[in-house]
Amino acid sequence: MKTMKNNYFLTTIALMALMISCTDDFNEINEKPDALAASDVSAKFFVTNAQTGLFAPNRYPYWRGPIIHADRYAGHTAFGYKSNWWDDGLGYNYSAGYTSAVHDAWFASYNSTLSAFTNFVKEGGTLENDKYYAIALIMKGLYYQYYTDAFGMVPMTEASNPDIVTPKYDTQLEIYSTLVSDLDQAISLIGNDATTGSGVDQLAENDLFFNGDLQAWKQLANSLKLRLGLRALGAPGESFSSSAVSSAVSGGVLADRDALLPRDLEISTWVSAVYGDVWGPFYGGGNWHLAKTLVDALRDNNDPRLSKYAKPSKGGTIEWAKPTEGERVALFDKHVAYMTDILDSAGATYTKTSDGAGGYTITMPENTNYIGQPTRLNGKIKPLLDRKLWSEPSEIVVNQHNSGKPIFPFVVFTAAESHFMIAEAITKGLASGNAQSHYQTGIRHAMSLWDVSSADAENYIATESMALLNGSTDQNLEKIATQRWIALFTNGYEAWSVVRDTGYPTELSAGVTDSDIFVLGDTNGVYPQRHRYGSGPYNTNGAQVEQANSVQGPDKQATKLWWAK
Amino acid sequence: MKKIILSSLLIFATSISVYAQQITGSVSDDNGLPLPGASIVIQGTSDGTTTDFDGNFSIESSQGSSLVISYVGYESQIIVVGSSQINVQLVSDNALDEVVVTALGISREKKSLGYSVTEVSGDDINTIKDNNIASSLIGKVAGLNITNSGTIGSGSRITLRGNNSVNGMNQALIVVDGVPINADGIESNNNADYSSYVTGGGITDVNSNDIESISVLKGPNASALYGSRAGNGVILITTKTGSKAEGLGISINTNLTMDNPMYLPEFQNEYAQGTLGGAYTDISTDFGSSSWGPKMGAEQMYFDGMPRRTQAYPDNVKDFFDTGIKASTSLSIQDASEKGSVRFSYTNNDHKGIIPSSTLASHNFNLRGVMNLSDKLTVDAKATYFTQEVNNRQFLGGEGIMGPLYQMPRSVDIKDLEQYQVDNPGTAEEYVVRNYAGPNSQTANPYWMANHDTQKERRNRFFGFAKVNYEFTDWLSAFVRVGADITEMKNKTVTKPGHHFYRGGRMDVATNSYGELNTDVLVTAKKDLTSDLNLVLNVGGSLSKRTAEGFYQFGENFKIPTKFFLNNAANLLAPRETPQATKKVNSAYASASFAYQDFLYVDLTSRNDWSSTLGEENRSYMYNSASVSAIVNSFIDPEQTLFNLLKIRAGYAQVGNDTDPYQLSQTFDVPGQGYFGLTTLSAPSIKLNPDLKPEQVTSVEFGIEGSMLGNRLNFDISVYDKETTDMIFNVPVAAATGYQFFKENVGKVSNKGVEITIGGRLIQNSKMVWDTSLNYAKNENELLSLIDDLETFTYMTTNSGNLSLRAQVGGTIGDIYGTTWETNDAGQKLIREDGRPSPSGPDQYLGTAQPDFLAGWNNTIRYGNYTLGFQIDGRFGGQFYSNTSANLDGVGVGARTLQYRESGVTLDGFNTATNTDNTASITGQEYWGSTSSIAENYIYDQDNIRLRELSIGYQIPNTVDYGIQSASIQLIGRNLFFFSKEAPDVDPENMLGTAIGAQGFNSNNLPSLRSLGLNLTLNF
Repeated sequence: MKTMKNNYFLTTIALMALMISCTDDFNEINEKPDALAASDVSAKFFVTNAQTGLFAPNRYPYWRGPIIHADRYAGHTAFGYKSNWWDDGLGYNYSAGYTSAVHDAWFASYNSTLSAFTNFVKEGGTLENDKYYAIALIMKGLYYQYYTDAFGMVPMTEASNPDIVTPKYDTQLEIYSTLVSDLDQAISLIGNDATTGSGVDQLAENDLFFNGDLQAWKQLANSLKLRLGLRALGAPGESFSSSAVSSAVSGGVLADRDALLPRDLEISTWVSAVYGDVWGPFYGGGNWHLAKTLVDALRDNNDPRLSKYAKPSKGGTIEWAKPTEGERVALFDKHVAYMTDILDSAGATYTKTSDGAGGYTITMPENTNYIGQPTRLNGKIKPLLDRKLWSEPSEIVVNQHNSGKPIFPFVVFTAAESHFMIAEAITKGLASGNAQSHYQTGIRHAMSLWDVSSADAENYIATESMALLNGSTDQNLEKIATQRWIALFTNGYEAWSVVRDTGYPTELSAGVTDSDIFVLGDTNGVYPQRHRYGSGPYNTNGAQVEQANSVQGPDKQATKLWWAK
Repeated sequence: MKKIILSSLLIFATSISVYAQQITGSVSDDNGLPLPGASIVIQGTSDGTTTDFDGNFSIESSQGSSLVISYVGYESQIIVVGSSQINVQLVSDNALDEVVVTALGISREKKSLGYSVTEVSGDDINTIKDNNIASSLIGKVAGLNITNSGTIGSGSRITLRGNNSVNGMNQALIVVDGVPINADGIESNNNADYSSYVTGGGITDVNSNDIESISVLKGPNASALYGSRAGNGVILITTKTGSKAEGLGISINTNLTMDNPMYLPEFQNEYAQGTLGGAYTDISTDFGSSSWGPKMGAEQMYFDGMPRRTQAYPDNVKDFFDTGIKASTSLSIQDASEKGSVRFSYTNNDHKGIIPSSTLASHNFNLRGVMNLSDKLTVDAKATYFTQEVNNRQFLGGEGIMGPLYQMPRSVDIKDLEQYQVDNPGTAEEYVVRNYAGPNSQTANPYWMANHDTQKERRNRFFGFAKVNYEFTDWLSAFVRVGADITEMKNKTVTKPGHHFYRGGRMDVATNSYGELNTDVLVTAKKDLTSDLNLVLNVGGSLSKRTAEGFYQFGENFKIPTKFFLNNAANLLAPRETPQATKKVNSAYASASFAYQDFLYVDLTSRNDWSSTLGEENRSYMYNSASVSAIVNSFIDPEQTLFNLLKIRAGYAQVGNDTDPYQLSQTFDVPGQGYFGLTTLSAPSIKLNPDLKPEQVTSVEFGIEGSMLGNRLNFDISVYDKETTDMIFNVPVAAATGYQFFKENVGKVSNKGVEITIGGRLIQNSKMVWDTSLNYAKNENELLSLIDDLETFTYMTTNSGNLSLRAQVGGTIGDIYGTTWETNDAGQKLIREDGRPSPSGPDQYLGTAQPDFLAGWNNTIRYGNYTLGFQIDGRFGGQFYSNTSANLDGVGVGARTLQYRESGVTLDGFNTATNTDNTASITGQEYWGSTSSIAENYIYDQDNIRLRELSIGYQIPNTVDYGIQSASIQLIGRNLFFFSKEAPDVDPENMLGTAIGAQGFNSNNLPSLRSLGLNLTLNF
């Protein structure tokens, strides 16, 4: 009995010793069951995120990028009102948290999505396919143009290579010229092919822009090349612009179709956000308005897009109470005069009566006037900024996810812009043809995108001088730039680039000077020229960022980019 | 059902009949002086009594049973009951023969150990009970640093001797009866200041009533035998086994406390809701939540749109809280004989939090049996089932419940918020919750959050082990032990329609299961090599398997807005299955302990681990430890005139550490929610590394322990120097590389410190005994290096970017950085053109979350049948950011914001626009608006000293006549008050979560609780 127990015990111990030395299954159990290896996947599955990651990011950068910065810099929207917890100074007074989110959590990190896709489909990649590679090159063009135009120098030529831990920052000249030749390569890879392949290789619904139509991608490549060429034109050291412009026009741009990113109305806002997710329901900070510059440009030219972009001001009774103490007492009359002027210049219907205590009561009919809120107003004038004064964006712009209501797609690239750019190229002598005809075609496309009836569009073209290129070259270029800028509504980054590149609308690019009314901010009144880099690259690639700063100028919002006017 | 179980247990227990008689006697010391408070326990039971003022006692016991008579500092005596009168004289100890439980559950004489171990008895944590045992350990063990978050049933952060690794996993391993337990959930909230839900996990699921003792193994030396997981130290919990029952062997304990907020912010009560000095006038568009309005007393628009004369509601915050009630009832039944022992216990916890509707209910069943099957073969087995339901624990942080409560305008009557919705809402508008900032704001209503943002967390957990021990000969024995720990967790969070953020409602459902199976074998040989040299050799091995799996789904917009289950959600989003992940670690280990003449002790250990998480080349790794201890008092003080014991010790140890599963090779994930439902792939943000090596902690420790003056004074001093290298770490890289992180072995962290425990008997006379113990621990943490060019790693950045918690080379793991008020070279504060202060960039050093030192003072004073216990402890140095305070000032409810309201302020400084001394004035609202956004202004020292525990106990005499072997009652209190505290508004030990990234940061935490109540124990 005793020996038996002993033996059992010793056997158990011996078995344990054997098991300890056994690690046969270790490799197997350390293989992640819910992860895919390269052999499990198709290249098409990478295309969707490459599109949404760049143009429909999640709520965090979407709010901190376009809504707080670019759309306001672009003069499309404005915010700050009486009880709102922020004012228009936000974005003009530098905030590390807000800027880093834009740079680190969106633009810089998008690179991993694009890199993974590109590395798979490039020559020698696991899923090598030259048609997908062409798409990757075009996405690369869209990405770096978006990225560099917001920040200036960024790492590109040494990027996407894990063996280079601290990639250098490239000049915009280097970036632009490389992108143009990349686009040329993409165009030649696509050739006359219509699809990426057959079976699992065939791209279709995963391509949210064109449902897999390669010829449309080729047109997008030409349109983008045209945008790059026109923007770089005349910038120091460039020698590729005019040929890029002419070859893009002759190669065939997106002339009768748009590259739009439809919005998934059910996906979580933390995966992909729409304006409405933060516009209204934002802890006492939402509900901003259309900017004065945009509303003026539409209203003053009887543009039928006004009611498509904007809602009329709520109106009603608005109190402008005179403060009894503090700095605002002295400024009150000036503020009232400024605000009255805004109402008058908007042609608003209203009455202004004295409230008997030095202040005023504004009575405005409801839902009648279209009045945009001036950008960059400061906190001193905030008590006069009643929300009822201003036009809000139309519902299709600010509807929420899951509201059962439609939401406007993201404007990646439009046929309208292609035509406006051709008109610009012709006006500048870089292409041949009828500038005004392209200009008007652009207007028609831009209006139809917003569901303006063709009758209204034709009426606009027939009656408004804004629809004619009938002035001096500069006047014509101003009109073209303004139409581009209007058509880019909801794509604030690109619209901001148009302003910086062309100087139009001048009301924006002129900046502000009166600190009694406006936020001068860190740029001291100058129009913001770029975003500051996020804290990410300073922590991880500090020497290269500093090198970039020494080349392009200090890391400030006022530092002009290579191509800026 | 409960009743049936209970009554059958009673029948079982009463069938053990006993004939007892009354024994009386006295206990005195060597000089014949009576020893009051000496303990008399019937051997093999927990039944006993203590001597009165005059050293006399009386106990019910049967003939032939043994009484253990003991007194601190004296050698215990065992007396077999023969007559009904027993007089005992105790002699003082020669040395401390204290036995402590060490690694693998091996009991050893403390004097033989070459490293620091502190033991806490079950009684020390069971009188003033907390649902979370960790809270009861605060201030009792030098070197143990514990922070809490304050929500019901939430866990604690437990670190020993500082943060070892920059990867953030720095908490102590919890081992119960020699088997490591699962600790998922102990790292709650690492990166979000706006929302934090702090779960329990690990030690919170251990029932304090079942605890015999807790050994705290602080350094790698003590824990080397636990291997990979023990680099951060070990909390070793030993649970009770059955002992011989005298009487029925039934013990009933009830602990009931009432909880109230210990500390609330100081509010202003002079200015009403409003902005810019005026009232809000437009309920539909411009109504807001701040208290920058006019002086109270005039008529203005209330949040319901009606005019009302404003008045202050000084208690509107306080009135929101309920009185919390913690009721814990425990029943245990035990018996033992030569054949073995059995113990069953059942504990019920029923808690009601201070937030209306927040509750915790748990049941714990525990059965332990030891069977002596033969002289040689013993089987020890335990099964514990634990089930707990926590309701409405509440979120912390910016979007948590305390935000809208604390920031409520001072002129709002909280009662007006109690009705938060119209009756029977129908339209979307009617569903919108009433709040004090107007119908169109997104401000939350605290009552709504308490009652309609519901969270339910259910945990079911099984712990158990079976251990077979066999003694081959008198010198050779072995055991095999299999331990299992299986946890099932279900979480359901519902925000009902009308919620300030999810107007259509939302719900989240998650199920997680964790498993842990540990099999150990250990062979022990004890041999006297010579008459002077004794050797104990242990050789063993273990197989550890850990698994985790989960499922998560959320849905939005309820179709029928009155019922809340997933099928009723119009939009089902992001299902996420986490298939079972398995990690295995196989280990072989050996230890040799040499004892020479009871004077010199040498310990050597070696362990080799094979981890499935590492590649084949690096999978196997070995580490060793050595320690030596020498008892030197016989040389320097052979007569024991001063020293009864003097021991010096030294130790060196290494511990290797592996990583999580799947960290080696690159793969792609399919996101649960593809855009338009399309199949999409997301690229990995971390570049994984097939060549990962184990990380390594190396420690050197020296100590001196002693007992002096007839054992009236004892001390234990340790110094240590610990270094962590090859940390497995996600190194942040430039995103342009295509990745956010590279996984690498990098860096070096140093922790150096000293721990001192001094204890003794302050008073010992015929009336009173006062035992006291003072502990002190200081740890200096420094991050020595990461990789070239990387000096900083950020764990958490606030939503506004004004503050971050970092690991900083040259600084600590837990440095706080943020914005300051910018100054020029001349030291003048910079003022913006408009007169507001100018904030700096967010990279200014503001402090560290790691305290300089911690200290605790524990006392027990016995006076006859009365016992007074109290603990005062403190935390010194170390900083934290009070986002709570910043928020209070930002909206004008903090008492501080009374300043500058009437006349504004012209800040002293240099105006950067005018380039002269500032002359621009700003209003109070502008001043506090700017001030509250600058992080520096809300950095406070963690310094505080508090009366943590107080108990006044009474041992009820002469209960035997009523069939009760012994009875005691204690009046108990916890967190009674602060003797001193630097920070306003909050408890500086309350952190946003239990993860590293939440340390040094308080944001709308629930207030700490002051508990007062009773503890009653009856032994039948």
